[in-house]
Amino acid sequence: AGLILLFYLILYMFLAGMFSFCIYGLLLTLSPYTPTYRDRVSPPGVMIRPYLHGFTIAFNVSEPSTWTPYVNSMHHFLQAYDDNIQEEKNIECPAGQYFVQDGAESKEKKACQFKRSQLQNCSGIEDPTFGYSTGQPCILLKMNRIIGYRPGYGTPVSVNCAIQKGNESALKSVDFYPGNGTFDLMYYPYYGKLTHVNYTSPLVALHFTDVKKNDFVPIQCRLNGEGIVNNVTNDRFLGRIIFTLSIGM
Amino acid sequence: SPQDQYEMYSVEMEKQGNGDMDVKIKKKKTNKAAKKKEKLESMKKEMDGCLHLTWDTLSICIQGMNSTVAGEILLRDGPNELKPPKGTPEYVKFARQLAGGLQCLMWVAAAICLIAFGIQCGQGDLTSADNLYLAIALIAVVVVTGCFGYYQEFKSTNIIASFKNLVPQQATVIRDGDKFQINANQLVVGDLVEIKGGDRVPADIRIITAQGCKVDNSSLTGESEPQTRAPECTHESPLETRNIAFFSTMCLEGTATGIIVNTGDRTIIGRIASLASGVENEKTPIAIEIEHFVDIIAGLAIFFGGTFFIVAMVIGYPFLKAMVFFMAIVVAYVPEGLLATVTVCLSLTAKRLARKNCVVKNLEAVETLGSTSVICSDKTGTLTQNRMTVSHLWFDNQIHTADTTEDQSGQSFDQSSETWRALCKIVSLCNRAFFKSGQDNVPVPKRIVIGDASETALLKFSEITLGNVMEYRERYKKACEIPFNSTNKFQLSIHELEDPRDPRYLLVMKGAPERILERCATIMIKGQELPLDEQWKEAFQTAYMDLGGLGERVLGFCHLYLDPGQFPRGFAFDTEDMNFPTSGLCFAGLISMIDPPRATVPDAVMKCRTAGIRVIMVTGDHPITAKAIAASVGIISEGSETVEDIAARMRIPVEQVNKREARACVVNGGQLKDMETEELVEILKMHPEMVFARTSPQQKLIIVESCQKLGAIVAVTGDGVNDSPALKKADIGVAMGIAGSDAAKNAADMILLDDNFASIVTGVEQGRLIFDNLKKSIAYTLTKNIPELTPYLIYITVSVPLPLGCITILFIELCTDIFPSVSLAYEKAESDIMHLKPRNPRRDRLVNEALAVYSYFQIGAIQSFAGFTDYFTAMAQEGWFPLLCVGLRAQWENDHLQDLQDSYGQEWTFGQRLYQEYTCYTVFFISIEMCQISDVLIRKTRRLSVFQQGFFRNKILVIAIVFQLCLGCFLCYCPGMPNIFNFMPIRFQWWLVPLPYGILIFVYDEIRKLGVRRHPGSWWDKELYY
Repeated sequence: AGLILLFYLILYMFLAGMFSFCIYGLLLTLSPYTPTYRDRVSPPGVMIRPYLHGFTIAFNVSEPSTWTPYVNSMHHFLQAYDDNIQEEKNIECPAGQYFVQDGAESKEKKACQFKRSQLQNCSGIEDPTFGYSTGQPCILLKMNRIIGYRPGYGTPVSVNCAIQKGNESALKSVDFYPGNGTFDLMYYPYYGKLTHVNYTSPLVALHFTDVKKNDFVPIQCRLNGEGIVNNVTNDRFLGRIIFTLSIGM
Repeated sequence: SPQDQYEMYSVEMEKQGNGDMDVKIKKKKTNKAAKKKEKLESMKKEMDGCLHLTWDTLSICIQGMNSTVAGEILLRDGPNELKPPKGTPEYVKFARQLAGGLQCLMWVAAAICLIAFGIQCGQGDLTSADNLYLAIALIAVVVVTGCFGYYQEFKSTNIIASFKNLVPQQATVIRDGDKFQINANQLVVGDLVEIKGGDRVPADIRIITAQGCKVDNSSLTGESEPQTRAPECTHESPLETRNIAFFSTMCLEGTATGIIVNTGDRTIIGRIASLASGVENEKTPIAIEIEHFVDIIAGLAIFFGGTFFIVAMVIGYPFLKAMVFFMAIVVAYVPEGLLATVTVCLSLTAKRLARKNCVVKNLEAVETLGSTSVICSDKTGTLTQNRMTVSHLWFDNQIHTADTTEDQSGQSFDQSSETWRALCKIVSLCNRAFFKSGQDNVPVPKRIVIGDASETALLKFSEITLGNVMEYRERYKKACEIPFNSTNKFQLSIHELEDPRDPRYLLVMKGAPERILERCATIMIKGQELPLDEQWKEAFQTAYMDLGGLGERVLGFCHLYLDPGQFPRGFAFDTEDMNFPTSGLCFAGLISMIDPPRATVPDAVMKCRTAGIRVIMVTGDHPITAKAIAASVGIISEGSETVEDIAARMRIPVEQVNKREARACVVNGGQLKDMETEELVEILKMHPEMVFARTSPQQKLIIVESCQKLGAIVAVTGDGVNDSPALKKADIGVAMGIAGSDAAKNAADMILLDDNFASIVTGVEQGRLIFDNLKKSIAYTLTKNIPELTPYLIYITVSVPLPLGCITILFIELCTDIFPSVSLAYEKAESDIMHLKPRNPRRDRLVNEALAVYSYFQIGAIQSFAGFTDYFTAMAQEGWFPLLCVGLRAQWENDHLQDLQDSYGQEWTFGQRLYQEYTCYTVFFISIEMCQISDVLIRKTRRLSVFQQGFFRNKILVIAIVFQLCLGCFLCYCPGMPNIFNFMPIRFQWWLVPLPYGILIFVYDEIRKLGVRRHPGSWWDKELYY
């Protein structure tokens, strides 16, 4: 019995060694800066803030306890975008063109400033409740990061929102910040978390100023631009996002 | 009184047999025991009881029955036919296919899936459809494999159905004083029927009148000689008495009338048939093996599932999730494809056997034949040709051997002697048998002859040696004839001579040798008539004893040329007064006949012996004949002696012989009747070469049971109705296709279409081969269960994204790996399997510990490592480093989290992650496939090196590997696969990652085999040889 246990010990040690060797060999072939393949992760997906536990944003204006979690989540998320932090860590870049940084792969990359104040009415500076207290909530939209990806191939990607299905009149008006709801080219490409340390994803704020109250309003926001895919049925977060607003008065 | 005279019979069955059977049944099924016992008991009673026919009944029956009364009796008793054995209803058969051990487990898994689906659906979870698909897939798997099994069973049942003779039998019946031809199934008890040569006896008949009526009882009692039927009661046993003709036996010649005493299932044949249906079917060894194995698998699956269910609950998974884990582990661990593989392997062998004239009714029987250690063979028709044939001649004071082979390929004897010419003349002329016309192109041994068995034998013999006998008889015109009868014991005819100028008559006579000798005054030696003195009489006695001792039926032949003065041409011979000499004849010679063994049998028996299989003869025939045939086919080998032989040789009484010295033993039914079962078992142990003669159907059953008590796997061969209970009791019953009765075929598991015992040897060989190959197949199939299971274990414990999905597992089990595992059935034997002893069913299991351990913990482990290497490679190259994967599961599977960061900071939506997960499934799948290719190569042999066995000799296996690769490519690269079956097109290098592991498997197994070959019996051999 002892012999067989020893036999298995040796066998498994050998196997574990072989496995470790293989994994070690694998890791040697990987670059820490650029993934071997990026085809699975592009084109980019879309995500919103506030994000608590799903894609239904439901609150009652008259009951602050229903919307404070959303507001806190927004504040928390936007901390990194505080103007002074951005000014301190990041640089100002020329708008309207990709911020390509050549040089060694391992060299630390600069990031462009995206200041909270650019979100204007949705910055939470003038209205710390992001409009939730008045029934005109702000929602932040961000595009997923992909290393080396240049969205729109030279033309900035823009955002539009519409009722997903049902009565079009439930959504009367949406304001977009900054600049009519586009992601400026200067924030791309992304160079990966190892070298692009202070990178902050550009945002588009959606200000729902007139939404039907006391009802579930399904809204679909799409990215529009060259190379963006926003109509795959299997992945409803690829180039678009669907969420529900339910604002009680 | 007439009543006594017509007392029919009392049926006596061996009480010992019945008693023993009761005990058996009681042991097996306690709840049904009482009912069964009652049934058997009542049957016994009925058979014990006497049947009386009163004189009154009989006198009425001279005129035949009144048809209205007959109609009433028909209503009361039912039609005169054997009720077909009650078959299992089709839906039960189908349901049985769906309710095996593994199937039940799969049902449970499917149910869990459905429950999970229901609950998730209720919670509005959108991903729950996966569970529904899986449930449907599982149910489909069970149903499809069930249908497959059912179809196999259905097909084999159909083969049997095709044997049934559908032409209704006709019978001549006298009713209301008139003769009618009616369907035999309309006959009732009390009907007066007529039978004549060539008819099948339509029911059990008490003979009233008979003219030279002879019947062939071989299917009932195993006696190959025709039996005379006459009105006299000669024995108290119904099977022995002359005045009963049995249902379904053949009337060979003569005519008879009789009264029906039993119809349908109440006939002797019917009772034996119902006795057979009362015998429980033995489970086949392979069924036991598989059941044993399925129990273990199911137990382990539940154990693993349960353990990880608890682990999952402890770690903090929700109950539903834990249930899904349980289900997934069951799916991963259960070898879904195994039953299909086993069925296909068996049916392939069955097909191969069918080409060699063995039709297998029950697939599992194929393997049973391979593990057979005892064959109980019937004599008549199985070992012998079931036709009387002239085997020896004695003339010129010398015994000559005739050619008894089926195709006349043997040596002939010297035919130059004058005596032979005279003897041949007698044989040809003193014979009433004749060929049915229009058979000139048929070879002589196959021609149909009208006449009894010995006359047929003599006719064929003279046709072969002399030429056209019918024409020969024309030339010697017959003047008068006295047919054979039991009082005279001779047959005589007087013929004109061929030469018209020779006015003499020739008297020819044949009969019982001693009676013939009495009538002779001279003996012909080398053409000279010598006076028959004491010296010649002694020579005759010696020859007669010699031939009789060979178990042969001996006839004497003599002739006399009548004095032309006393008997001129045209003399009126009177057969009543016998106005011609019947003594003072000239003795020509003796001819002996036997039902000779088939040419292929001695060789087949020899092969059985080298294969460690004991052949026991069990026959209804006489001990002497049985022993002679046993000796000539090698069942009693040369130099083996029975107790009686030793006693005779040493001239001491039988009691003084040391029984252990006798290798052979002949036991007859009478002795068997007084024997306790233990005694019989003792005898079977003591004497390796056994012959049982004069046995009844019950005794055959007891013999089979006793062999089984010794732990042997018993095959029984037989053709008659009398064999059917034993056929059923046997582990494998083998019936004869041509000579076999329907009852025998129904009870058997296998049918030899050419009635050739040698086919059994082929069967044994194939059975052993399939056992070996099944072992390989199962080892191959089991191996991949580990790499299917480990992903779940790692998934649950380390919380990596799931490496292998359930649907993918089902694809491995039921799609890609089926063909390679089946192809192992085509593998050639590694050694001469016919020189090995039969496997010991208790020790040499199909799936033994070494096999499971080696497959699971060694090859399976290597495959798991291969899978994980490939999995981590695919993950890392897409941006998920191994260390990040650990603990990632909860976030990975959160379908709200659309921006999960990988190791590079890129953000993935849930859908993108899902496709990545499918990529992992596919990569893991391909790893298993690559390793399985290596696995199938190593499984080709268990001991030899693959290089010794030849890589490409098994073409099917090569094709299977190519097919497996093509199927793998198709699954990966066919458009639409990602969303239907969760297969993704994967990068080329991911096919290569598992290769080192595949090579490792191959090299490792070669090392194992080398060790096993080099050091037999060592620790290495014990632990690693499966």
